Amino acid sequence: MDIMDEIRDLSRKYPDRRGALLPALYVVQKEAGWLSQEALDTVSRALNLPQATVKGVATFYAMYKHRPMGRHLIQLCTNVACMIMGAERLVDLISGRYGLEPGGTTDDGRFSLVIMECIGACDRAPAMLVDTDFHADLTADNIFEILEKYE
Amino acid sequence: MIKVTIDGRDVELEHPVTVLEAARKAGIEIPTLCYFEGLSPFGGCRLCLVEVEKLPKLQTSCTLMTADGMVVRTETEQIRAARRSMLEFLLINHPLDCPYCDKAGECELQDLVARYGPEAGRFAEGKRRHPESFDDPIIVRNMERCVLCTRCIRMCSELQASYSISVTGRGSHSFVEPFSGGRYDCEYCGNCLTVCPVGAIMSRLHRHSYRPWFVEKETETVCGFCGVGCSMVLQMRENSIIRAIPRRGVGFNEGLLCARGRFGYEYVEGGEELTTPLMRVDGELRQVSWEEALSFTARRLGEIRDEFGGGAVGAVASGRCTNEDNYMLQKLMRFVIGSNNIDSAARNYYAPAQIYLERIFGQGITANLIPGIANSDGVFVAGGDPTAINPILGLKIRAVWRSGGRVVVLGVPGGLKRFVPYELIPVPYSEEIVLSAIVGRLLERKPPGGANAALEAKLRDLRIPSDDELGSTGVSPEDVARVSEDLSSMSTPVVVIGPDMVQRRRASKSLFLLGAIAYLTNARIFLLADRPNYQGLLDMGCLPELLPGGRPVELEMFRHKAEEALGMKVPEQRGLNLFEMIDGAESGRLKALYVMGENPVFNLPDGVRVEKALGSLDLLVVQDVHLTETARLADVVLPATAWPEKEGTYTNLERRLQRVRKARRGKMASYGREDWRILADIAGRLGMTKTYQRVEDVWEEVMHVSALHTGLGYEEMDGGRALWPYYGEPLRGMEGDFTVEGLDGLPEVPAPERPYLMIERPLYHSGTFSRRSKALLAIQPGPYLKMNPELARRHGLTGGDKARISNGRGVLELEVRLDDDMPDNQVHVANTFEGFAAMRLAGFGTDPVTGALYMDDNTVRVEKVLR
Ligand code: SF4
Ligand code: SF4
Ligand code: SF4
Ligand code: FES
Repeated sequence: MDIMDEIRDLSRKYPDRRGALLPALYVVQKEAGWLSQEALDTVSRALNLPQATVKGVATFYAMYKHRPMGRHLIQLCTNVACMIMGAERLVDLISGRYGLEPGGTTDDGRFSLVIMECIGACDRAPAMLVDTDFHADLTADNIFEILEKYE
Repeated sequence: MIKVTIDGRDVELEHPVTVLEAARKAGIEIPTLCYFEGLSPFGGCRLCLVEVEKLPKLQTSCTLMTADGMVVRTETEQIRAARRSMLEFLLINHPLDCPYCDKAGECELQDLVARYGPEAGRFAEGKRRHPESFDDPIIVRNMERCVLCTRCIRMCSELQASYSISVTGRGSHSFVEPFSGGRYDCEYCGNCLTVCPVGAIMSRLHRHSYRPWFVEKETETVCGFCGVGCSMVLQMRENSIIRAIPRRGVGFNEGLLCARGRFGYEYVEGGEELTTPLMRVDGELRQVSWEEALSFTARRLGEIRDEFGGGAVGAVASGRCTNEDNYMLQKLMRFVIGSNNIDSAARNYYAPAQIYLERIFGQGITANLIPGIANSDGVFVAGGDPTAINPILGLKIRAVWRSGGRVVVLGVPGGLKRFVPYELIPVPYSEEIVLSAIVGRLLERKPPGGANAALEAKLRDLRIPSDDELGSTGVSPEDVARVSEDLSSMSTPVVVIGPDMVQRRRASKSLFLLGAIAYLTNARIFLLADRPNYQGLLDMGCLPELLPGGRPVELEMFRHKAEEALGMKVPEQRGLNLFEMIDGAESGRLKALYVMGENPVFNLPDGVRVEKALGSLDLLVVQDVHLTETARLADVVLPATAWPEKEGTYTNLERRLQRVRKARRGKMASYGREDWRILADIAGRLGMTKTYQRVEDVWEEVMHVSALHTGLGYEEMDGGRALWPYYGEPLRGMEGDFTVEGLDGLPEVPAPERPYLMIERPLYHSGTFSRRSKALLAIQPGPYLKMNPELARRHGLTGGDKARISNGRGVLELEVRLDDDMPDNQVHVANTFEGFAAMRLAGFGTDPVTGALYMDDNTVRVEKVLR
């Protein structure tokens, strides 16, 4: 299905077009992993919402990306619980192995790394999201086992 | 009744308002930053904090509603300390580059800091960096200065309803930006500039050219671009306009302007104004003295009158000249030269439409208040985009939508696209069938009430199309049902009629149908006017058949009254209209034409023919500010003053009389003379004995001659209070006397092979003046050929290509602009840019019933220009 139709279909589930804006942004972000101006314009046209409104909303939320991302997005929490449980060490390990700094993307475009402020998994800290998959109880031993599954 | 105590003062309120409003009402000033009258409250800056007894914390008075018994204090040490802290926070990031900032001197942040402090900030962090953006030709953006009050955004979305800017990013990283991040590509109303309290968004037009306290003089005047007639203040320094700004409380536009009004004033200082009269000597226009030009003009006019009779002379009046100018031209023609041949470009649609509607309903039927549109619960628009033709009126239609009303547009909705629930775009020239079907549905729903017998009699004869017959229009019976349902659900509807419903064959029928819709739904009618003084042309008698006051010249009673009032004679027969004058010039029957403030060669269809006709006149006099296409053909060119140098009055499309005031005087003023003065001079040389010292003298005569304007002096007009009905008498007894062409038939919908050429009316340009404004040209530098992608594809074109359009009347080469919203089989070109007279390519005729212009034979061949 064409992406415009997909968004329009989606918008029928909401009482008004504005309500469908966040999910619609996800739909277009899914395509390229980030939201280009064209992607924002597509949402604007599909929902008949002003371009500026779409951009304003899209830039407010951290889950929308405004520059190209790697094929897989690692979102690692370093908030208090995760930090105590060694998350910062994991950051160093990831950096060391893939040459990937927080906020950056690997040269081969495989991974992007984003540091998160709490993903609500303190009981199983440290935790991370890879794309939409949730991984917890991370250790220096298991983290690469997990990441290596993502090509 | 709500009673509150503010700073020890008792305030009684009828309705609950905010504490801030209650305090202002009581004359107590509470400082604010994010609050702006007319915009929704935001509560973001926290400068308006007040103490309220029994509430533990300070409250933002701009959002807190009053409640009975509330005790409020607005200036205590605690409040002052809080305000100081808020300002300290704002100054963490604010660059404090005041010496370099154009806003300094009228900056609200600067004023607040001066009042509350802090003297120094305690934050050592670096400031947010954001390079000033010059991506836009008109608006400079300096986001280091932005205090994130969101006033601009609320203005742009709530009042302008353009939704072009938003807060981008979050928290301390946020800033205001248009979608592109660079150019605004918005409606360029500049209303966001008005509300920005600091120097974060500013006009580039006068950047670093002044300080606010350099303003030496302010002149309150009325915009010279369209028939809305917005009030504005011209701020002057050394006789040069620094800027044109709106002011809340002045005029009914309540602090709003559109792009043309705000930025378009510059044309008067372009340096291209005529400096001396010109006369054709040996085939060339040469500079001559005023005396030479005036005596020649008067002598030739007199000779032609004496030899061929007054009927051999004609005149074209101007929708951008004042009532006084137009009155004087009319007087020169009718009373001095003895010719009723006077008309104007209002002939194109406004005058015939107005007169026809008045024939149906009575004089003053379209005299409804623009601000009142916003209070109605539904609008039906046909014949043009109000947001481009009359932008501020267009905003009121958007306001209807914002407050939950319905907006229905027949045709391409343009600037109303976001505000219509569905689109209703008939095949070109089938609108009449759709309107008949809508009227049919309305009649089915509710029989008419009997108030207008003549109209109802005609309704009985109206041929209502069957569902099958609707087929050719591209509009489905369901759509028609939906529209009529929407129309009948409106309790205070408005019908807005634009030029495109008039400039077509059988204009009388389209107008009748729109009138019928208004009648059946009990709607107020608005007639769009793309010149500031179209209505004034009618009221001043600049029509072949009407005397001042809109009285028919052919009725002896009225003629005699006018003759008596002036002690001069008028010919009995109606004169020639604009197109008949062109015919007359062609056939040699018309020998002389006096053109004031109009550019017929450019603004009339079939320019080649018009040019040839004007070329064959014995005498062509052109009185204008610039050397226009028409002036280049003239025998005499008389330089006139432009709008900011004029004194007089305009009558807007609501029939509100407003004063135009002279802002420029002295050495910098152009060399032109006021139009009415030039005319009075010539009339004097031709035997008129009356002399005029000031423009008031002219208006006094108008009050004397026009039964409509009796007792309506300049004082009444100040502040725009001169509203219809005036003190004088409207014309009665003509209503009901009208005919409708083709009432019992349905037209054949043409299906030409080639696309139609339609005239686009762009927001940023409206003609001979706007094309000389550097600012408007920076926004839109030139014309383009608008078409939908499908049509483009069929012609092997894509956006940005150069295309040639042509027919027997001419050729134009233009850049293609694709537009998904354009209907099929038509291309649109604006008729506003020098060298691109799109009108030239259209054929025309005059409607036998209304006398309006209709475009005919306006298809063009479209082909790609190969580079
Ligand atoms: S100029 Fe007008 S349309 Fe453009 S951003 Fe400012 S308020 Fe909005
Ligand atoms: S640009 Fe001006 S009006 Fe807009 S949010 Fe910033 S300070 Fe306020
Ligand atoms: S709406 Fe008309 S009168 Fe008002 S500012 Fe714009 S052009 Fe001028
Ligand atoms: S003016 Fe009340 S919070 Fe800004």
